[in-house]
Amino acid sequence: MVMLQAAVMDFSRSDAPPDDDALVLRARNGDRDAFGELVNRHQRRVWMVCRQYVGVDEADAAAQDSLVKAFTRIGDFDRRAAFSTWLTRIAINTCLDGLRKQRREGVIADNCEDQERAGVLAQVPDGQAGPETRFQQRQAVDNLRDREQELPPKQREIFRLRFYAEMELEEIAQILDIHVGTVKTQLHRAVHRLRGELGAYR
Amino acid sequence: MNTHLDEHQITAAVAGLELEPEAEEHLVSCLSCRQRVAAFKDLIDARGEQMAAEMPDWDRQQAEILLQLPKSLTGRPAKTRRWTRALFAAAAAVLVAVGLEFMWSPAPMGEPVVELEVPIEQILAEVDAALADDSLPGFESIDPGVDDPKSYFENGAS
Repeated sequence: MVMLQAAVMDFSRSDAPPDDDALVLRARNGDRDAFGELVNRHQRRVWMVCRQYVGVDEADAAAQDSLVKAFTRIGDFDRRAAFSTWLTRIAINTCLDGLRKQRREGVIADNCEDQERAGVLAQVPDGQAGPETRFQQRQAVDNLRDREQELPPKQREIFRLRFYAEMELEEIAQILDIHVGTVKTQLHRAVHRLRGELGAYR
Repeated sequence: MNTHLDEHQITAAVAGLELEPEAEEHLVSCLSCRQRVAAFKDLIDARGEQMAAEMPDWDRQQAEILLQLPKSLTGRPAKTRRWTRALFAAAAAVLVAVGLEFMWSPAPMGEPVVELEVPIEQILAEVDAALADDSLPGFESIDPGVDDPKSYFENGAS
């Protein structure tokens, strides 16, 4: 009885933030504040996913496109997957559509990472490390980025979704429409290969 | 498990994959193996921090997104609207098809039209003749109890 009362009290707490599903329901009815809260919760991950597919220069625009699309199509969200999963799928599709369009128009360079190489490194947080250590750290990160680029596409995609977009294995499987066992295998191969190539980190 | 983790086990630990219970136990107790796992994880984290430095101003991004949203959304889910539209389209197509079929199809195929062997005028003449002849033998045999049909009608009707 005490447990039941506690559960009821906990359930009725008004200060608990609404979950994604509740916000989605409100957003479906045109509540822009509710959608604003969903943006607030998920924009970081959406940007990080877009960053992996289209590079840093296009990531912001792609993330914004993805989130606006999510709002206009929110009636299609059937709650079979989590909202974050559905949103990530939209972000990936938006990026792939953009890449296809750019490729058709002959705009895209195959390696988005090349564009950012020079500018980004200067922004890496230095912490308390000395100049030599900082240099080594940057070089190691630079090496990791280069080796990532050489991974087979599917391994690279899974590696980045796992570590940079911080997605669970099951969620990656759902988004890429592959078996979770395949995700595990590809991720293991990617990490194993990178560790092998970055010998100092074995 | 006294021996250190092998390369594949270290890789699995870095990737966050499940380890066998013995390997998991060893990892908890072995500083050397933990350092090997942590070294590569730290490198990946550093790469993540590098990308985090490129992240936009979230408040600015959110404001820009909200500005791009359409003024209103229809309350009903888009999927339902699509189904309704498809249903209406199908119904309209069926109606058009039925209408066209009705307009262009030949006469109904139900019963074949039989050419009359005897001209219609002859049939009518025969019918008129039969009606004019009031000595129809059939009536007498139907009701044998009435000898004179005329008297029957006179009595019965009054």
